[in-house]
Amino acid sequence: MATLLRNHRQIVVGENYDRVKYEIRKEASMTTNEVVGLLKKGRASAGRTKFKEAIVYYEKALSLDPNNPEAWYLRAAAFIETGRNAEALNDCARAIVLNQNYADAWSKKGHALYNLERFEEAVFACTRALALNGNDASAWYIKGVCLDELGRNDEAQEAYGKSLELEIILDMEAEKKKVGK
Amino acid sequence: MKTEMPLSKPIRLFIKQTEDLLDTEISLLRNPEADPNGTLVDIYTYNIEKNIIIFPAHYMGLLKDFIIAKHCVNLLIKGAAAKKSQYLVCSFTGDSVYRGIHQIYIDALKDEAKKDKKLPVQKLIQMLNILFTDFNDDINELPWNPITNARVYHQMPKIRKTQLYYLMKEGKMDMDEMMAYEDVIPRRYFVLNKAMFYARDQYLAKTLPADELMPVVNIPQMKKFNHLEVKEMLTTRWTHTSWYQSKIFGDTMLEIMEKYLQKIDWNAEPSIDYFHDIYQIGVHMTNHFISYMSMKDWFVWEPPKHLQEAQEKKAEYEFKALKKIFGDLIEESSTDSSGGKL
Repeated sequence: MATLLRNHRQIVVGENYDRVKYEIRKEASMTTNEVVGLLKKGRASAGRTKFKEAIVYYEKALSLDPNNPEAWYLRAAAFIETGRNAEALNDCARAIVLNQNYADAWSKKGHALYNLERFEEAVFACTRALALNGNDASAWYIKGVCLDELGRNDEAQEAYGKSLELEIILDMEAEKKKVGK
Repeated sequence: MKTEMPLSKPIRLFIKQTEDLLDTEISLLRNPEADPNGTLVDIYTYNIEKNIIIFPAHYMGLLKDFIIAKHCVNLLIKGAAAKKSQYLVCSFTGDSVYRGIHQIYIDALKDEAKKDKKLPVQKLIQMLNILFTDFNDDINELPWNPITNARVYHQMPKIRKTQLYYLMKEGKMDMDEMMAYEDVIPRRYFVLNKAMFYARDQYLAKTLPADELMPVVNIPQMKKFNHLEVKEMLTTRWTHTSWYQSKIFGDTMLEIMEKYLQKIDWNAEPSIDYFHDIYQIGVHMTNHFISYMSMKDWFVWEPPKHLQEAQEKKAEYEFKALKKIFGDLIEESSTDSSGGKL
């Protein structure tokens, strides 16, 4: 929005305020649509395991709207898939700054920290993710794996148990969808 | 193995152990379209440089771990066979396809004679081809399934709950196979197909041990056969049903399975020799199943490449076999079984 305001500064001088407001809204909505489109394309590429291509889309989206937490989160996910865990961690941090209650970003942070073998911190990030969304099978699993690494076996088993429960539900839903198709 | 996927410690160690024992590399691949059983694309079967275990994208935790563990055992068995002797699979030739299809045809004729509503010739031909292929697939997979699962159960205690869920689901899915065609295919083949799965599930129910896996508990059509008295068995009409017969044949197949698998020490230290012994036991057990099902001359033990080439020539083999059976009634277009439906 700040960029848009700068672009429109010239129009503001000596022009009707409502018209300018309309122009800004119109352009902002065009930008939002563009960002949504880019994120969609990025997700599609990631779905086809073309992560480098996905990163390019996410980067374009971020250049248009650096305050979009989803774009940071998605790029973090793609970074992890390409082994760029430190960069993924940075992106998760950016996403979390923009939205402290972004459960998926916390979960992804846990994943990046696990890959960096920072198990204690990973447990913390996953716990935070699970406080925001207790149905994240992946966060329960990563938490379990990290607790296992830290030798906290009983807690690990509990986390694995939760993860399995959720995974079974997801699996049953996937089966139902398949039957539906 | 290099992966960015989170993996539990026992699985990571198991992958490493498998790679070290076989001196090979394993890659993991998540794919939304993957088979729920996962797929092992291995260097002993295909001309590739490293082994790939593919699993569904929504398997992100312990389900994924179980699939990996199962395929690591499969890989160890194949690799040990390839290293110590030769890894062979049940393949087929033009002649063996003829013998198989001819046998199914004769059995189908017997069944058709008793039916009021006859199966159209086109469907009958498709059925012959599909049944032969299904039994070839099953005989290459089913005998190895209890072996793999028993080994995973003993080596990976931490994923036992996952394994139980998975096996219950697999049992139901396998029993559902051919269900829609129960009245179409010859009774004998429906029963043998179900009997194989019954034996496997019953064996695993005893080995794990998990009563939930027993087909008379897990499979709706078999529930009525739980806790039957001998008198009931002899007097009630459902003794004539295909499901009851599947149980009877399945019990015999279970005995065969136990006879061979009792020789395996499931807790032994993994080594190439150990897995090679398992491979040989699996081959003997498969032969016994083939012989029990009277399919001895349907299949030939050959390297995987032979099977891949045979699969490419399958349509040609089927056409020649059908031509031999039906003579000039057969045209090229009438033999296609690629649709996979009756």
